Amino acid sequence: MALKEEQAGTAVSSAGSSGMEQFHAKAHYWGRLTVWAALILTVSLPVVLSFFLGHHPGWNVILSAFLAYAGIVAVVWVLEPMMYYTILGVSGTYIGFLTGNVGNMCLPAAASAQNAVGAEPGTKKGEITATLAIGAASLVNKVFLIPMILVGALLISRIPDHIQQVFPFILPAIFGGVLAQFAIKKPIYGVIGLAVGFVINLTPLVVYMKMLLCIIITIGICLLLERKNVTKTAQ
Amino acid sequence: MEEAMRLASGFAVWMIALMVLGVVIFQAVKFILLARDAGRDIGMAKHEINSAIKTGAITAIGPTVAIVIVALSLIPFLGEPLTLMRIGIIGSAPIESVGASLGANAYGTELGSTGFNTQAFTAVVWTLCLGGAGWLLFVALATKSMSKLEKKVINKSDKNKKIMMVVATAAMVAAFGNLASAEMVKGMEYIAAVLVASASMFIFTSLADKLQKNWIREWSLGLSILVSLVVGYFII
Repeated sequence: MALKEEQAGTAVSSAGSSGMEQFHAKAHYWGRLTVWAALILTVSLPVVLSFFLGHHPGWNVILSAFLAYAGIVAVVWVLEPMMYYTILGVSGTYIGFLTGNVGNMCLPAAASAQNAVGAEPGTKKGEITATLAIGAASLVNKVFLIPMILVGALLISRIPDHIQQVFPFILPAIFGGVLAQFAIKKPIYGVIGLAVGFVINLTPLVVYMKMLLCIIITIGICLLLERKNVTKTAQ
Repeated sequence: MEEAMRLASGFAVWMIALMVLGVVIFQAVKFILLARDAGRDIGMAKHEINSAIKTGAITAIGPTVAIVIVALSLIPFLGEPLTLMRIGIIGSAPIESVGASLGANAYGTELGSTGFNTQAFTAVVWTLCLGGAGWLLFVALATKSMSKLEKKVINKSDKNKKIMMVVATAAMVAAFGNLASAEMVKGMEYIAAVLVASASMFIFTSLADKLQKNWIREWSLGLSILVSLVVGYFII
């Protein structure tokens, strides 16, 4: 820790952009290392169950289940990291996809922190703020998750039914709250995002297509809008 | 079924699940330290860095409760460690439950049925772990290329930099617009939950501005969720 402090101290004098370069280089290194480690560990679990403990269900079963599942999620493997990259940045992508729950936890944490600090998404400060927030969110999530899962079943059964009825509203409340954060700063963006989202959600498209379309259309409209504003102020 | 569940909460599955969690926790700590140093380099004040960390931590509480509630519904079928591992990394509960049933079906049985033996459980583990590996593989391989592409675009001109900022904000708004609407089409109560949380957020934010109190901003999302749930409680 003390060593880190000194290093940071000497680095302050160097320009901000080289600091970001260095940050990205380190983020790629540690990000890849940790993601590969998690990847190898996760795949080692079924290998252990199949070949060390002798519960192998047969390759036919595994292959047919995997192909059926991949048919549903394979597109998402590629689409999700790509569409969230503009929001999460380099380091956010590594943490977000390892800790999971990108939409319901990482994005709200990043957005709220940017709001609290007053940093714009898509800037250096915005990216650092998002990384700090997502990292902290990931930690809190893991620290709470373990005991809550262990005692959770017991705890939940003790919570009276009439209070349990509000649990389904946690997610809509999160999304509504974060949307309002943006609407306060850029009301038009908020209206566009919600309107596009609403129209798309009335269509019977698959979930990931909805998200992709919504992002593309909203970006398109916002870019057109900004261009219009620029020409207006130029005149 | 009983034998499968004994395997599901056995030593091997616990060990690997805890190791994966260890990696996730190590990564979070490492990235917070890296970002803290980089934040200083680009001239962020100490209180801004602390505020970002605090806000992230507070914001995670609400979602974590929601995640645990969904996770608890998977435990009877998958056992504690596998649920922890799948929900604790990449996974989101709805997708994991689809993968789990596909795995069980391929073995010729169903989750929670009497025919769900240790081999069926292993089939489920294969499906979920290979399925989840796809995201990790893509992130490990492609993130560097994506960042190179982004830098190329941004470095070309200042105009591109501004466009990237609009794109980043619009993408974020779109993501939440979509997530919020997906909840709102479920019914009036859900619409109310979204609207009450939005209204509370407006109020807390203007309070924070008026009183010049940043802690209100840090707690605003957590408080908005709470207000929305309390109102929701009285509606139903």
